[in-house]
Amino acid sequence: MNRKNKKILQTILIVVVALGIIVGLYLYAGQRAFVSTIFSGLTLGSLFFLVAAGLTLIFGLMDVLNFAHGSMFMLGAYIGWQFYTNPTFIFGIAPLALAFGTGVMFISVLKPYVVAWNLSPRMQKLLPTIAYILAAVVIVFAVLGFDILALADTAMVAMTTTTVGNPLAEISPQEPLEEFWIRPVLIMLGGLLIAFGSSKPGDKTQYAPKENLGKAILVPAILLVLTVVSVFIRESAPVSVLLMNGNIRFLLSILVSVAFGFVFGAVIEIILIRPLYARPTFIILMTLGLSYVIRELVQFLWDPLTYQMARPPLFAMPGKAASIGEWLRNGNSTIDILGVTVPTYRLFIIALGIIMFALVTLLMTKTRLGMIIRAGVQDPEMVEAMGINVKSVFTLVFALGVALATLGGIGAAPFLPVQPLMGDAYQTQGLITVVIGGMGSYVGAFVGAMILGIARAFGDYFALKLSLSPAIAEASTVIIMVIVLLTKPQGLFGKKE
Amino acid sequence: MANIAIKTKINQKSWLKSERGFIIFVVIMLAFPFVLNLITGTGLNEGVTKFWQGQLIIFFIMTVFAMSYDLLIGYGGILSFGHAASFGGGAYTFGLLMKHWAPNFIKNTPIVIGNTDITMIVVLLIVFLAVFLVSILIGLMFAVTSIRLKGTYFAMLTLALSTALYIIIKSTDLHQWTGADEGLHGVPLPVWLNPTQNRLTVYLISLAFLVISYFLMKRFVNSPTGHVVIANRENEDRMRMIGYNPVTFRTIVFVFASIFAGLAGALYSIWNMSATPTMMSVVTTVNALIMVIIGGMGTLIGPIFGAGISQVIQQFFYTWFGARWPLVFGLLFIFIVMFVPYGIVGTYRMHAVNFQQGRKRLFKHFSRQEESPREKEVSG
Amino acid sequence: MSDVKHDDLLLVDHIHTYIGQFHILEGVSVRVPKGSITVLLGRNGAGKTTTLKSIIGLTPPREGKIIFDGMEIQGKRPYNIANLGIGYVPEHRAIFRQLSVLENLKLAERKKGDFERSSDFIFKLFPDLKRLYKLPGNHLSGGQQQMLAVARALVPENKLLLIDEPSEGLAPILIQQMMEAIETLSHTTTILLVEQNFIMASQLAKQFTIIDDGKSVSSGLMKDLVLQPEVIHRYLGASIKTRIELEMEHESKE
Repeated sequence: MNRKNKKILQTILIVVVALGIIVGLYLYAGQRAFVSTIFSGLTLGSLFFLVAAGLTLIFGLMDVLNFAHGSMFMLGAYIGWQFYTNPTFIFGIAPLALAFGTGVMFISVLKPYVVAWNLSPRMQKLLPTIAYILAAVVIVFAVLGFDILALADTAMVAMTTTTVGNPLAEISPQEPLEEFWIRPVLIMLGGLLIAFGSSKPGDKTQYAPKENLGKAILVPAILLVLTVVSVFIRESAPVSVLLMNGNIRFLLSILVSVAFGFVFGAVIEIILIRPLYARPTFIILMTLGLSYVIRELVQFLWDPLTYQMARPPLFAMPGKAASIGEWLRNGNSTIDILGVTVPTYRLFIIALGIIMFALVTLLMTKTRLGMIIRAGVQDPEMVEAMGINVKSVFTLVFALGVALATLGGIGAAPFLPVQPLMGDAYQTQGLITVVIGGMGSYVGAFVGAMILGIARAFGDYFALKLSLSPAIAEASTVIIMVIVLLTKPQGLFGKKE
Repeated sequence: MANIAIKTKINQKSWLKSERGFIIFVVIMLAFPFVLNLITGTGLNEGVTKFWQGQLIIFFIMTVFAMSYDLLIGYGGILSFGHAASFGGGAYTFGLLMKHWAPNFIKNTPIVIGNTDITMIVVLLIVFLAVFLVSILIGLMFAVTSIRLKGTYFAMLTLALSTALYIIIKSTDLHQWTGADEGLHGVPLPVWLNPTQNRLTVYLISLAFLVISYFLMKRFVNSPTGHVVIANRENEDRMRMIGYNPVTFRTIVFVFASIFAGLAGALYSIWNMSATPTMMSVVTTVNALIMVIIGGMGTLIGPIFGAGISQVIQQFFYTWFGARWPLVFGLLFIFIVMFVPYGIVGTYRMHAVNFQQGRKRLFKHFSRQEESPREKEVSG
Repeated sequence: MSDVKHDDLLLVDHIHTYIGQFHILEGVSVRVPKGSITVLLGRNGAGKTTTLKSIIGLTPPREGKIIFDGMEIQGKRPYNIANLGIGYVPEHRAIFRQLSVLENLKLAERKKGDFERSSDFIFKLFPDLKRLYKLPGNHLSGGQQQMLAVARALVPENKLLLIDEPSEGLAPILIQQMMEAIETLSHTTTILLVEQNFIMASQLAKQFTIIDDGKSVSSGLMKDLVLQPEVIHRYLGASIKTRIELEMEHESKE
């Protein structure tokens, strides 16, 4: 009873202090400054949440601290920006990526047969090695002479193109289909070889039932169809996408970015993180290296430059809207709220953050997957012992986390300069958010992100008023973290260790 | 377990023998500028000789920094992203005092004993004492935060803390002191310590610094305190149960490592006569981390290899792979983390017995071959 | 051990298990005949819990065989093993404290509708749980948590239940209730039980295996074991004795 009373007292105290701070700030700053600061705070908070949600779930469930999360945020922005500005690059590499994925996914069909082969132990070791080497050779041949840099340059070219009817008119034509088709075929072969190698031929201890083969063939079959389609629409699709309404194109680029993040996350988890679960420190080191690689890759493809993604038409027209209705009709860039001019794109980001929080909440509380995640945060071993394949849940959660980060990236792209280091600051703030909110708690991530965002906005406001640099405000978020850690080491919503 | 086994082996051997490799390394490094001087014929303070001395100075300083990081991560089992705070803290303390305090002090209070003016010596002593104290303070700061937090949580906190320090040091508010983004440049140095005018002195000082640091750290690791630190890494709860307070020992490691990092930072700011925000950033810590990983965690000698290799990579990868060489380096790093997690020295030690046996077999093989060629077929 | 009797549901054959670098099990063999309760006895730290974990695959054995229902299961992933029809009730009431009682039970479903099928039986066995089914796990008392842990293993159709120390830290009246529940379960399911409480074990189990210092040292029928006080004393030692004494003290108080 005593503990309960103490807890209630504590909560009341926190609420009173928070209210006091808010009222104080309101009186000090005045309504106009207060409202506009709150809006920029919520905008930042939404972006922090999109980064922190993935971090916290990944950490809570599998004790993995993903130091490449900021880079994935950045990658999301780049992919979305590419698709929005000129999707030639995305459609150009899609056949290859899909072909590879198709090949690898055939593992679910191959494995039950391959495992049952009668092979000597020597052959069991030798065959996968041969398969991997062959796969490497085949893939090298497949991509030989594939000019990925020219493809990546298309978005940069498009920015200077003024042709209205066909924005791609000035771009040099791509490799004709007669020459191109061999590449996806070879890459698929490479993927199949890798699938063959990693399905451990002859290893009878592997569990691979043949019964649900019909189900197993579904995913690779869908991928195969997609690959074929992507090969044929490679040249025509970019033009038709660019001729679409800008808002729809933006929506599509969000979808592409999220889908990319999901697949990318799953691949990273399976290839790079899974072998390291026994050595947690090395996961951190690996993700550090990964963030380095991603950053350099982006600079390799798109040069170490800063890009500005154009705002979609809904947020682009200069001028202030008096009401939400007017904004939606005209697509104004700013809107009047309580006498304050607020950029409409900020409202979009805030809405994105809130919608994602609602979706994550639904996922975590209403679905079986959410139940498994919450149980796994406490004791993954026991979840596995109950007959649930925890490893695939890990992959799924990692993929979801990365998808959220890439969503944050594309959300931020029309609003932040798109450049290779754009994710770093958000990663740091995301980590601070996670510490404040408590590892593994998505509610904590949301509350922490909003607190941090608003604090950051007011920090900027005060820094401006006291003629300090905004750097001081950025550094001062650490103070909030230290205060929370000293009073509640497990974070606001963290589980007690 | 493996570490303890290695250690007893070292204790049994004589000191000179067990450190044979390191001593040879030091002798080569001592002779290096003079030999190069003889070969190329350029003076000690010009041309190729000067350039390579400069490269090696960076190598020595980064090696000490990486070794001190190895104390934390390899021996203490503490993953901290804030180690550059000590390095940069040392550099900035040195730079700030030398630039903003020392000139006035030298002008106003000359200290003369007999005929020699020792003001500069006194100033340098005071400045290095300040560096020492600041490093201890920074070490204590991280030690205090590690009382309540462990593992990944702690790593995140150090990351945030060091980011905050980095942001503050490059903020425009402190421009007149720190030079903000560009950093603190033109740190005044006496002629004999100036790396452009007297590079050999700086070279020898850095080498001496490396040698002294290496032996002090080695001594620390092999001392009873060091053993407790290692045991703490393996099992903190057990150590607590038998009466050692892990926090005390963690604090000792932090402070000890921080002192070396701070001194390395100060030396680095002598070398390039400046202190820049990058020296304080996470990138610098990660560089040390990469060196430790390449060389082998918990080996102390490994970081020498690591620092050397990363120096070489920075020199040559650019010419090999162009402007995007870090891409190759990053891939290499991931490969090392995945497949050679114990680094060069660690992997060598794990297979040392195999290597030695292999070598013996090889010798036997050849000696037999000389004696009677027919036996080779039998043994083969 | 090689002659597998037809009525053995589970056969653990000389398994060696390591945790990190520690050799925990150095040759443990257990036979679990179909349709009755087998109990693993032994001192604390003898390796009983590790044996259960090795069977379910959480600490896979490096050597030896585990045959369940005619299939070799050693080296398979825990979820595969569990899906063959083995329910595992871990020690220390490892329920999911962040989840409600209902969610804990729902999580245990392997097929859709498992819970609907078994809920009547579960709530008849543990009426308390029906009353509490909306509460989060961390609001439950120790006894209720233990009941939930057992109930969770009853949701899917299991051929074998591995139950680790169900009486640990329970009040005597709850021990009685738990014993009755396990007794009821044994009519439909085979059970491998780890139990420190010798009185409870001797009343419930038909067969026993004693594990000492990572090896199985003795096995047979429970009714023979109770007649051999020197064996009980030697392998189960003082801890059992004090337990018995404690029981008697409790009874004399009440």
